[in-house]
Amino acid sequence: MERARSGDEDAYEELVRAHQGIAFRTAYVIAGNAADAEEAAQEGFVKAYRALGRFRAGSPFRPWLLRIVANEARNRRRSAGRRAALSLRAAGEESSGGAAPSPEGAVLAGEDRERLLEAVNGLREEERLVIACRFFLELSEEETAAALDVRLGTVKSRTSRALEHLREAYD
Amino acid sequence: MTELETALRQLGGELDYPPTPDLASAIRGRLERPTRLWRRPAAVALAIVVVAAIAAAFAVPQSRSAILDWLGLRNVSVVRVEKLPVVPATGRLDLGRQVTLDEARRRAPWLRLPEGDPDSVWLNESLPGGKVSLVWGTPSRVRLLLTEVTGRAYIEKVVAGDTQAESVDIGDAGAWFQGPHVVMFRDRDGRFHDSQARLARNTLVWQLGDVTLRLEGGLSKAEALRIARTAS
Repeated sequence: MERARSGDEDAYEELVRAHQGIAFRTAYVIAGNAADAEEAAQEGFVKAYRALGRFRAGSPFRPWLLRIVANEARNRRRSAGRRAALSLRAAGEESSGGAAPSPEGAVLAGEDRERLLEAVNGLREEERLVIACRFFLELSEEETAAALDVRLGTVKSRTSRALEHLREAYD
Repeated sequence: MTELETALRQLGGELDYPPTPDLASAIRGRLERPTRLWRRPAAVALAIVVVAAIAAAFAVPQSRSAILDWLGLRNVSVVRVEKLPVVPATGRLDLGRQVTLDEARRRAPWLRLPEGDPDSVWLNESLPGGKVSLVWGTPSRVRLLLTEVTGRAYIEKVVAGDTQAESVDIGDAGAWFQGPHVVMFRDRDGRFHDSQARLARNTLVWQLGDVTLRLEGGLSKAEALRIARTAS
């Protein structure tokens, strides 16, 4: 981090590699399509590099970065005026390379996950995004607040409201 | 955590995200400060002017005192100047004629090839020993340019204050140039040609036996070295 701040491009490249996955997926959840997400994440990383001088040493990089990337993604979605639903991986595809299913595997099977996803996609935009950030991307509350550009308290209240709505729709 | 929350997390793991693109590579060329000379449109617009001044400077031996000999490259000289002369940033690559890779290999048996086939291969025989250029991208939009010369051919680089030149561990000797600099090749008669001077981007230059290789593009030092190490 310190090397990147002093203008070391190689060091910054390492930082990008370490965070490009979460940055791209966050942008994807917000922008709603891969092309805009890629552009937003790219632009976000470039802007973050130029703004490294303003980054407070010692504070965590990820929320700071996600705020910039998410902002880019929001701008793109606004100008496109569309919203895309998240989709599930093709049925039967093993994400864990054929390993035994996790203990949670039993919780959600077959049509249930389709139904749950449908319920998430049916939420209001702000609730859908908070669910996506907290549970799909597994961002912390602080990171979610940064990505969605809202206060920490708003993340908490929005999350519990969204969970309530999901329960109603899903059960 | 409630059952619903657990289910949501599990669902998150099964979502069909598009594969993450290689963003680190994509932004590599964009990290330089925007004020860099080679990016300024004015530098391109003024292009052809002033090159005479730099040629005149080369004609006076004393003005070459700033040559960076420590780089250890036999066929490369580096002159440090206060301010870079204005030369074209693009075009005038002086690639010569396009040949097949096989023909390039026949005419330049010393040619070293890195991993990954180039999009086109060019041969310029006006330089002593010939100059081979491997181009990735198109000649008008070069992504990566690997130039190889041998024997008596000579490369001259002019760097200014904000260009870093450092010795790197590659081949028999190597140097990394970060930032804009002017590059010129000496022709068959041993002369530099004004018209061939152009502004170059980040560049790695290294020596393998009698061959001098020069890799230019929007690369970081690490990436350039990685590619260079595949050339044998």
